[in-house]
Parts: sequence; C-alpha cells; structure tokens
Amino acid sequence: MTNVRARNESAWLLPTDGTRTNHRLREDMRRFADTEEVDLVVVGCGAGGSVMTQRLARSGWRVVVLDAGPFWDPDSDWVSDEAGSHHLYWTEPRVIAGANPVPLGSNNSGRGVGGSMVHYAGYTPRFHPSDFETFTRDGVGADWPLDYTDLKGYYRAIEEELPVAGEKWPWGDPHSYPHRPHPVGGNGEIFLRGALAMGITAKVGPVAITNGRFGNRPHCIYRGFCLQGCKVNAKASPLITHIPDALAHGAEVRADAMVTRVEVDQRTGRATGVHYVRGGVAHFQRAAMVAIAGYSIETPRLLLNSASARFPDGLCNDFDQVGRYLMVQGAPQTAGRFDAEVRMYKSPPPEVSSEEFYETDPSKPYQRGFSIQTVSPLPNTWAEHVAAQGHWGRSLREYMSDYVHWSCLGALCEFLPQPDNRVTLAEEKDRHGLPVARFSYTQCDNDAALMRAAQAAMEDLLHAAGADEVITIDRFAHLVGGARMAADEQHGVVDSDCRTFAVPNLLITDGSVLPTQGSANPALTIMAVAARAAERLASRRSHPD
Amino acid sequence: MSDTAPGPRPDRFPGFDVLDQSRHWDSVTTGVVLSRIEMPPDIRFFTPDEQAVAAALCDQLLDQHGDPEDPTRVPVVNLIDSRLAEQQTDGWRYQDMPEDAQAWRDTLAALDREATNRFGVGFAAGSRAQQAMVIQAVQDLGSADWHGLVAQHVWSLWSRYACTAFYSHPSAWNEIGFPGPAYPRGYKNPGVDSREPFEVPDAFPDDDPVRSSR
Ligand SMILES: Cc1cc2nc3c(=O)[nH]c(=O)nc-3n(C[C@H](O)[C@H](O)[C@H](O)COP(=O)(O)OP(=O)(O)OC[C@H]3O[C@@H](n4cnc5c(N)ncnc54)[C@H](O)[C@@H]3O)c2cc1C
Ligand code: SF4
Repeated sequence: MTNVRARNESAWLLPTDGTRTNHRLREDMRRFADTEEVDLVVVGCGAGGSVMTQRLARSGWRVVVLDAGPFWDPDSDWVSDEAGSHHLYWTEPRVIAGANPVPLGSNNSGRGVGGSMVHYAGYTPRFHPSDFETFTRDGVGADWPLDYTDLKGYYRAIEEELPVAGEKWPWGDPHSYPHRPHPVGGNGEIFLRGALAMGITAKVGPVAITNGRFGNRPHCIYRGFCLQGCKVNAKASPLITHIPDALAHGAEVRADAMVTRVEVDQRTGRATGVHYVRGGVAHFQRAAMVAIAGYSIETPRLLLNSASARFPDGLCNDFDQVGRYLMVQGAPQTAGRFDAEVRMYKSPPPEVSSEEFYETDPSKPYQRGFSIQTVSPLPNTWAEHVAAQGHWGRSLREYMSDYVHWSCLGALCEFLPQPDNRVTLAEEKDRHGLPVARFSYTQCDNDAALMRAAQAAMEDLLHAAGADEVITIDRFAHLVGGARMAADEQHGVVDSDCRTFAVPNLLITDGSVLPTQGSANPALTIMAVAARAAERLASRRSHPD
Repeated sequence: MSDTAPGPRPDRFPGFDVLDQSRHWDSVTTGVVLSRIEMPPDIRFFTPDEQAVAAALCDQLLDQHGDPEDPTRVPVVNLIDSRLAEQQTDGWRYQDMPEDAQAWRDTLAALDREATNRFGVGFAAGSRAQQAMVIQAVQDLGSADWHGLVAQHVWSLWSRYACTAFYSHPSAWNEIGFPGPAYPRGYKNPGVDSREPFEVPDAFPDDDPVRSSR
C-alpha cells in the first residue's frame, strides 16, 4: 500500500479518546468572508464535493464548500435506530412522476457534510471496463469520453483512503483490496451457501468498512446500523475520510447553507459565485470558480433554477441536456425463509456480492446485466417488504414476527440512460420560494427484463441455500446522471474533466456526470471521477490567481 | 389480505424485552427510543372526526384491537399525527397525490364517505368486519381510481406511515425478537443460528406463516 497518510491524513485527525469528532479542528477552521473571492466554491459536501474540496485544498487553493445540511457529530446527532434517523435524509419536497415513479427520501438521498454516504450501505465496487463503452460494445446506453484506464489509478487511491475491505476481486479488471474481507453474519452465510450450491462465484466485500484499525478509526462492531450513519467511525463517509484533511489544509466547510442560484456575469459568461441562504439570511459568496456537487436531483434543479437572460432555459442548458439521462438502478429485493435463525440485522448489511451476471450475455434477450448483494433490512424497511406482499392486519403481524428467519438479497440492475427520464421544475415551491424538482421515470423493456431476470436469479439462489419460500419487492436505488459527461455539448453538459461546456469556470463533480451506471454501486466511481477532475484542474492551474 | 383467524398471537420470544438492555445503549439513542414509551404526544393535526377514523384504520392495519389502556399498545395515530403536524414527510410525493398532510385528511374523509355509502354508518362507528371490507376494497383496486386518487398510492401512504410508527416501538421489537439499538455494545455472535446471551430463541421456529397460509 502506498503511504495513504501522506496523501490524506483524515483518519489520523480523528480523536483517540472514544469520541468521534475532532471539535478543535472545526473550531480552528479557516473562515472566508463572502466578499473575498475564493479560488473555488463547492456546492454540496457529499461524495464528489468532498473529494474535490480535499484535493484542491491540498494543492493550496482557497476553497469553501457549502452544504444545505448540518456538520454532523456522530456522537450527538446520530442514533442507533431506524425511525430516529429520519433527519439524515433529504426530505425537502420533491414530486415523482412517470410510468414507474421512483420514491426518494430515505432510499435515495442524504444531506449534510458527508452527503448521501452518511447513510449509504458502504458497498464500493469499481465499474467494469465495459461500462465506459456500452454503446460500442452492446449498442445500448452511451460511451464515456474517458475509459477505465483513465480512472484506474484514482480507483486505487480512493480504495486506500476509505479504505475498502474485500476478497481478491475476479470481475471486471481483477484487483485486490487494501483491507482483508470481514467475517460474515447469517445473511452473508446464506448467500455464500446458495452460491456454492449453484456454482455461482460470490465474494465477500467490497465494503468501505475498516477491518482492524485505520488511523484513529476503530474497527466495525457488527451492529448493523450502517444505513443510519455509523456512530463508530468504522464505515467510510467523507465526513471522516476527506473533510478532516481538507480542514487541516485550510478549506472552510460552511454547513446549513442552502445554495439557491449560481451567478453568471452576463457579459463575460463566467460564473462569479453563488447565492445562498443561511439562517434565513441571503448571502453571496464570490468565487473564481464554482463546482456543483449537489446530487443527481439537486444539481440539475440548481442549474434550472439559475436561469438568466443568457441562459433562459436554465444554466448550461442551451442544448436541452440538463436533467436528462437520469438513471436509477433497478433494485429488486428478494427474501427467503429458513427454519434456522438468520438474524440478518447482526453485521453490516453490505457483506457479500456477486458480479457473475454483470456483463451482457448473448444468450439472453436483454443487454447488460445485474449484480447481487446482501441487503439485510431492519424492521421498518422489512415491514415495507412484507406489506408489499399485500399483508395487513393480523397476517402482517404474523409475518413480521417471523423476522429472525429471513435472509434478504438485493440486485442492482443496469437501467439504461433515456432522455425522458429527467428532472424538471414543478409548480410547487419549497420554503425558499424555489420551484421543487419533479423527477420522472419510465422503464424501457430492457430495464423491465433485467428486473425479472435478477429476481429469478435471487430466488434460485435462496432456494439453493434451502429457503422454503421467497418473496420480492421492487425497489430502486442510486440515482446518477442528469448532467452527463459527453464528447460535445450536443450530447451532455460537461466534458471528461467535469468542466461545463457552456461556462468555462463552472464544474459539476458529483454523480450527475455519469453517462452510464453499470451494476455497481456508484459512490467509489463518483469519488474517483471527482479526484481525477480535481487533479486535472490543479495541474492546469498550478497556482490559481 | 388480512387473515381474520381469532385468538391471541403466540408469544414467539418469551421473556424477551429489549428494554432490559437499555442500560447498554448510548444516551442519545436511549433518549429517542424511550420517548416512544412515554406518554404519547397530544393530537395536534387531526380533527376529532379524523382522529376517530384514523384510529379505526390503524387498528385494522396493525391488528391492534386490544384494550386501549394496554401499556404495550403502540400509539400509532399519535405518532402519525406528530409527523404530519411537523411536516416530517418522506421527502417525496406522487405527482397525482396532494402533499402528505392533505392526502391524509382527504383519504380519511373518503373512508368515512365510503363506509356511509355502503353501510349507512361512518367508518369509525362501523363494525370491524365492515371496516375491513372497506379497507380491503382499497387494496384490491390496485392502480384503479378510489375517490379521485390512485388506490395503490393511497395504500402506500397509509401503510408507510402506519408500519413505520408501529415497528419503531420497543413492544413491536419484542414481538419480532429484534434487540433494537446496538451501540456501543455491537454484536459478538453473528451467523446462522447464533445468538447473543440476551437474544431469545424463537419458541415456534416451525410456525412459518408462509407454510400455514397454504
Ligand atoms: C440508503 C442508501 C444506500 C446507498 N448505498 C450505497 C452503497 O452501498 N454504495 C454506493 O456506492 N452508493 C450507495 N448509495 C448511493 C451514494 O450514497 C450516492 O450515490 C453518492 O453519495 C452520491 O454522491 P454525490 O456526490 O452525487 O451526492 P451526495 O453524496 O448526496 O452529496 C450531495 C450533497 O449536496 C448537498 N446539497 C444539495 N443541494 C444543495 C444546495 N442547493 N446547496 C447546498 N448543498 C446542497 C446535500 O445536502 C448533500 O450533502 C446509497 C444511497 C442511499 C440513500
Ligand atoms: S455495522 Fe460496522 S460499519 Fe456498520 S454502522 Fe455498525 S460499526 Fe459501523
């Protein structure tokens, strides 16, 4: 392993006394005035925004990152409880539409420093080389303006910084992980047993959960509340993997600051800063450069809400590309019933995966594929799974009382990018008076075929492990796209370095830029793309003026 | 589908009480969880008429027909009412539904109308069997229209709020064998058929609801 600490000291900047937050580092944080033109202002302190902030702060840039949510302290702000974690989600109003509307909130997006990675599960697989050229290979989706080899070094770097634990990975570009695989709990055991019986390869990992100490981060205590925020500091999120190092290098994190509009000089066409509201007061932060990283819904919404005389249909929207080609992964969840007690709530939900069905199989009637992973829902989410079978009243209570006997798997199906799956502005306004996002989704035939194929594969696997009955709920996860990367401005919003085609000093550095999604969970790729964009930006301007 | 077989549900985890472990929880989580077994929050959002219909609906959805004074009873209606009063939504709504608070008011009124049309009495005053028929009819409609709304979106609203309120309560965890909060203690014995000293084995492991329903 290369010397991570020399590149990113975050894990060593956390406390050693059993508390989780270095309050001193936050108190001593550098603070910029609104009127000072900083080198870079970043909108959103999640997966993409945090990496951007940390990398450029390290390069000597004066960086401010604004986030609409709080600067979390895991000790006082997070609980070991499902319903009590509601405040981790982005729950400002949004409207969902289309033939297959996708529920948002808890299942899809977060807020505050750390972004959605505060309550993501923690799976961190790489994309496969094929994901970067699905159009050339399979005639579907889109080709990226960069390929796997452009990202490979950044994947490795981020895997070391999180760090990722898992077995040697045989799929895509085979690789190993910096931390050994975790021991598995009941759900992982069932998955491995079923896979063995069916002759399918399944591997433990890859999860961004420390196995052993990493800097001052302790190891996982297998408490199963990863989707409620890790109170242990074992599961990686930018709050502990990138922000401490950014602060130590002079970046400012300005939390509870909702950006309402990106300002563009109508004469020069350059971005001049961002308008934001903090504590009810409107501010304007001046900046020489702006990077938007607000997630696949809020990033397009902010662009559309930043319309001006020069950009009447929304910022960077000259070619009607903003908000389009948004993707979710089809995430059917199939559970199997065992006479033995599985107690899937013990251990992190992310344990074991298989990418055996990831690539296009010419013998199948659909293109591209899916992956399978353990999911292990806690009681509230499990009740949703059971209620979806139509149970209510007494039968719901009886099914629920059987919780300890169930094992649960989830698939990630590669839904294809389509122009009409998009974010537009709704009539409804939020409390800032800004139109809220309307997110419309309709599956294509290939998407629907993948959902059923993935369900069948999970049913077979659970039966092979000994399940006497299986039940499935259709879910959707991981939004990416909406301001995609492309070769030119007729087909996307940014270039391969995440620079917008329309505004020379405006970047987009979050999941919105992904043109395809593979069947891999996206956070690692979002971070790798941001790390690459940051490095290219810093090398172009070795010292910003 | 709601099986109406009479009789008490079996106690599958005899003697298991998650609160026995509460001294091992961190203080922030303890505060959040214990607040749920304190006096339920006052009704602030529902009108008295709405409250009565909501109570009958939730009793049906969660099969809570026992003694209203029973301390293990989950105050589902109060918990839903609090969320609506505080606009604590899930962060999205279907385009064809009003926002959640209004959707609750509208659908409770529709339940009352429906019961009056069918049986000549309001929903809350109807018999349990009559209430169950009205509810089942909504579920059976699927994507068809119910009082101007898509029936399955109405069902989604009711069941999401009701299940979250119910399965956040320690009484419900006791019933399903789930130990609740696990910080800072964690688990030492994950794995199939492995238990922590404080977990209680299922007394009826063969009581498979799937098998028995066939
Ligand atoms: C339940 C769940 C499980 C998941 N599991 C996994 C997993 O196992 N593996 C994986 O790879 N991915 C997972 N994901 C997805 C992953 O977390 C996201 O894809 C990723 O975090 C997205 O990164 P981002 O940079 O695009 O946005 P985010 O990380 O969401 O960051 C966006 C930030 O911008 C802020 N923001 C938005 N708008 C504004 C504004 N106008 N002004 C100021 N701030 C703003 C938000 O508050 C937020 O903090 C999961 C997600 C969820 C919800
Ligand atoms: S299971 Fe491990 S990684 Fe997940 S929340 Fe608990 S301690 Fe953190």
